[in-house]
Amino acid sequence: MDFFVQQLVNGLTLGSVYALLALGYSIVYGILKLLNFAHGEVYMMGAFMGYFTLVALGGAASPAVPVALVLVLMFLVAGLSAGVLGVAIERFAYRPLRDAPRIAPLITALGMSFFLQSTALLLFSADVRNMDTSELISPSTGIHVGPLDISLVRILVILSAALLMVALARFVAQTKLGKAMRAVAYDREAAEMMGIDVDRTIVAAFFIGSVLAGAAGVMVGLVFDRVWHLMGFTAGLKAFTAAVVGGIGNIPGAMLGGLLIGLAEAFTAGYISTTFQNLIVFGILIVVMLVRPTGLLGSPAIEKV
Amino acid sequence: MPPVGVDEWVARVEERREQRAGLLGQALAAWDRIAPVWRLVLFAALVASVPFVTDSDFIIRVGVNTLLLAMLALGLNIVVGWAGLLDLGYIAFYGFGAYTYALLASDQIDVHLASWLAIVCVVVACALLGFLLGLPSRRLIGDYLAIVTLFFGQVFVEVVTNLDRVTLPGKDEPVDITGGPNGIAGVDPIQLFGFEFLTPTDYFYLSLVVLVILIGGLYLIDNSRTGRAWRAIREDPLAAGLMTMPVKRLKLMAFAFGAAVAGLAGAIFAALQIGVFPRNFETPFLILIYAAVILGGAGSIKGMLAGAAVVGISFELLREPDEASWIFYGGVLLALVLTVRPWRRLAAVLAGVVVLGLALHAVVGGLWPDAVAGSPRADWALSSAIDNWLLLPDDPKTIGNWAFVVLVVAVVWLSQAGRRARLLALVPLVYLGAFVWENRLMLDPSVTRQLMLGALLIVVMILRPAGLFGAKRIEVA
Amino acid sequence: MEPLLELSGVRKSFGGLEVIGQLDLTVREREVVSLIGPNGAGKTTVFNLITGVYEPDAGSIRLDGRELVGLPPHRVTTMGIARTFQTLRLFLNMSVQENVTAATYGRTRARVWQSVLRTPRARREEREVSELADEVFAFFGDRLAGYRRDQPAYSLSYANRRRLEIARALATRPRLLLLDEPAAGMNPHETGEVTELIGRLRDERGLTILVIEHDMHVVEGISDRVVALDHGVKVAEGSFDHCARAPAVVEAYLGRVEDAA
Repeated sequence: MDFFVQQLVNGLTLGSVYALLALGYSIVYGILKLLNFAHGEVYMMGAFMGYFTLVALGGAASPAVPVALVLVLMFLVAGLSAGVLGVAIERFAYRPLRDAPRIAPLITALGMSFFLQSTALLLFSADVRNMDTSELISPSTGIHVGPLDISLVRILVILSAALLMVALARFVAQTKLGKAMRAVAYDREAAEMMGIDVDRTIVAAFFIGSVLAGAAGVMVGLVFDRVWHLMGFTAGLKAFTAAVVGGIGNIPGAMLGGLLIGLAEAFTAGYISTTFQNLIVFGILIVVMLVRPTGLLGSPAIEKV
Repeated sequence: MPPVGVDEWVARVEERREQRAGLLGQALAAWDRIAPVWRLVLFAALVASVPFVTDSDFIIRVGVNTLLLAMLALGLNIVVGWAGLLDLGYIAFYGFGAYTYALLASDQIDVHLASWLAIVCVVVACALLGFLLGLPSRRLIGDYLAIVTLFFGQVFVEVVTNLDRVTLPGKDEPVDITGGPNGIAGVDPIQLFGFEFLTPTDYFYLSLVVLVILIGGLYLIDNSRTGRAWRAIREDPLAAGLMTMPVKRLKLMAFAFGAAVAGLAGAIFAALQIGVFPRNFETPFLILIYAAVILGGAGSIKGMLAGAAVVGISFELLREPDEASWIFYGGVLLALVLTVRPWRRLAAVLAGVVVLGLALHAVVGGLWPDAVAGSPRADWALSSAIDNWLLLPDDPKTIGNWAFVVLVVAVVWLSQAGRRARLLALVPLVYLGAFVWENRLMLDPSVTRQLMLGALLIVVMILRPAGLFGAKRIEVA
Repeated sequence: MEPLLELSGVRKSFGGLEVIGQLDLTVREREVVSLIGPNGAGKTTVFNLITGVYEPDAGSIRLDGRELVGLPPHRVTTMGIARTFQTLRLFLNMSVQENVTAATYGRTRARVWQSVLRTPRARREEREVSELADEVFAFFGDRLAGYRRDQPAYSLSYANRRRLEIARALATRPRLLLLDEPAAGMNPHETGEVTELIGRLRDERGLTILVIEHDMHVVEGISDRVVALDHGVKVAEGSFDHCARAPAVVEAYLGRVEDAA
């Protein structure tokens, strides 16, 4: 029972992170029909930015400012720099190809992902950085009731991820920009003719998605204590799988898919083996493709002839 | 590019103009006038003469690797260039082929099949795997296919790395299948018609023969009903289906054929290397194959050969600091010559770069001697000139990192700026590029290779999506 | 006489919206039937149902007594139904010649290895394919002849693209040809040519033709019979004059008199 609860909490933590990442994929895919492979690398860069913020503030052992402020600053710096990076990628690499054959931006995205990964390797070397979260927030704080043993960091991560997701859902549903995003996703040309600034909307989508990715990077750094240049690629793949499983382009779907993948991975690691976590996720992807290619919450597409 | 639906005479004029574009265009036109068979013979003779000209082991090895890369590019071209399916797990088929050959011809599970039989098994197994991977992607729509195949490539490496302690039912001891991270060593050399292929030169000729057969076969397929059908489904799958082409089957066929070619290349690679290791089949090599395909121009056989030659050779040479310097400065100069017109402006830019460097060197070197205390990393013709021109700090790593960031930001910024700003910024940009190159990129050649591959994919796709030889394509949404 | 094409009780809805309801339609051998109706009446959907792009929710579609429902598009076409598209869907980056030869895929049998080894069979088929292309292009006079055949399809003018679509459809050797607005976007002269072409397709090649057309001059000029659709339901059927005067057709196009008042 203890073990089960532990895996559940692990899964929820991991799932929240995947969900945040999946949202970024989903928003961009919904609007541009572009699979932004570089999204995982944006998340990795965000994690590094969070780490360097922590270091600049004196490190986990002796922070120069209160712990809460350290955390807020880490999220802020990571989120903003990731957002700027995402926008830069869109403007430089994707915008010139917006009307190109479908395969062109995908290859560019692959190249971008690889370029960013190599950039991180060049700038930050192949060393794995530890945030030493246990020194920042004592692992003994948190909820410890009976079998329940959840550290404060995990609670913080799950809560803030949930908060961000709710904020995003409301943003898309209610604000003017959110409505514009939905309109552009539905029909770009029609939206343009209705006076919506498509470029600005796409930039906004990239910015928001990337901010979420940056935040997710900091969360992973805090919980799993490992920040390195290869962390983005596999995480990105799994998050995209989450988006596909939930129904690509669909915000609640991305959250559901993220949690599902996170739980599946945690329970695989807990009960079967840690070596084949990715294989399990891949299996889920294949099964969903076979059974329900539009994802759990996606609606079937009607092909116009 | 002739716009959609132009009048015929306009199209004709544009066609004619397109053919005449520069020396390269004329050379290509002349090349196209030769009969296909003789073109192939000419190509084969040219490549076959390489081992006669040089006896450098390094060059032969680069040659074999490039020939293998050409095979892989041709195989990937079936899937990406003709059928229009983005297969990002292609590298896994190469790996699968190499591992299958290694298992069938080594002490690993103590099987030593005759080479021809092992190779046939490899090709069939790879084709089957390609077919299987194509199946679940059901409708095989671009992005889903991309994600499934990319994931597949990752999982392949992971599985291979972990299949060294498998508990099989009925056995107590865990079984080692793939050798885990250490791979499989001691793979048998290929033996065909009583000849044993041992040296890299042997494999050079073996690869060349296989490549030539492959080129011939693919040329014939391209001009057969299957080739036409593949290109038709790339253009418009729905219309292709309504014109009697079984779209799903053709896609799976493309997948299987591409995989079989990769498997064949993999088998040769395993025998050449006398071993297989998981890290041979990771993403960087996939990017290398894509770089060859994209640079050459997806869809064209000669494009694949040219792309593989350029990418294969230059990226091998980037390992050596002296050759790398030639490639870098030569590449920058070539890019300037091709893009800056007229020549007066080009001369001004080049002069500006030289003057800026000398001035900076004098001023900054006078103020902080440390900033010029270093020396060029490579020892080649221009080393001493560079030493007097470029700021080479004593301990360049940190400043090099920052300069790299500034360079990337500047390039992104300038891509958004107007023509005038671009021209003005060109001089400092070239200087900054050289600074980053000498002070940072030369320190980590392997990382630099990766960076350049990524940048190549992005830049080629933005500037010339058709590659060097691909036909310009028109897409109507 | 047994009809060549027979639709009975065909229904199709998309997400609760019924697009085709209980449609019966027959086309006899060597007949030219026009399908008319206002935009959104479901005419193109009928084509998509016949060719297997969509599967009907109910009903049956038979060609020469053989059931088509459930067959994928390429099988339907191989059985003898070919179509053109309202929004042209040529293989734009392939040559004009290849657009036609590609469509012979279902009529040829050479396996890949046979093509590679250039076996007698593969060579014979290639020869037949290029003869078929010559024959198909000859049907269009000098419109698609000469140098144009080696040019990419995108370089063709609009009217020639429409012609190439028909040529491509002919290369599948159909018995029944479905033409989706063959005169759309053409000038009066070209429209006249289309009318004449459709007549020749039947007379010289013995084709049965089902055509969607908005231009009533064309419809009048070619039709043996006219079927009018509105909201997926057949509202009139018969000669052109009969349909043109049928109150339901007038109402479908112009609205009710009471509505207008």
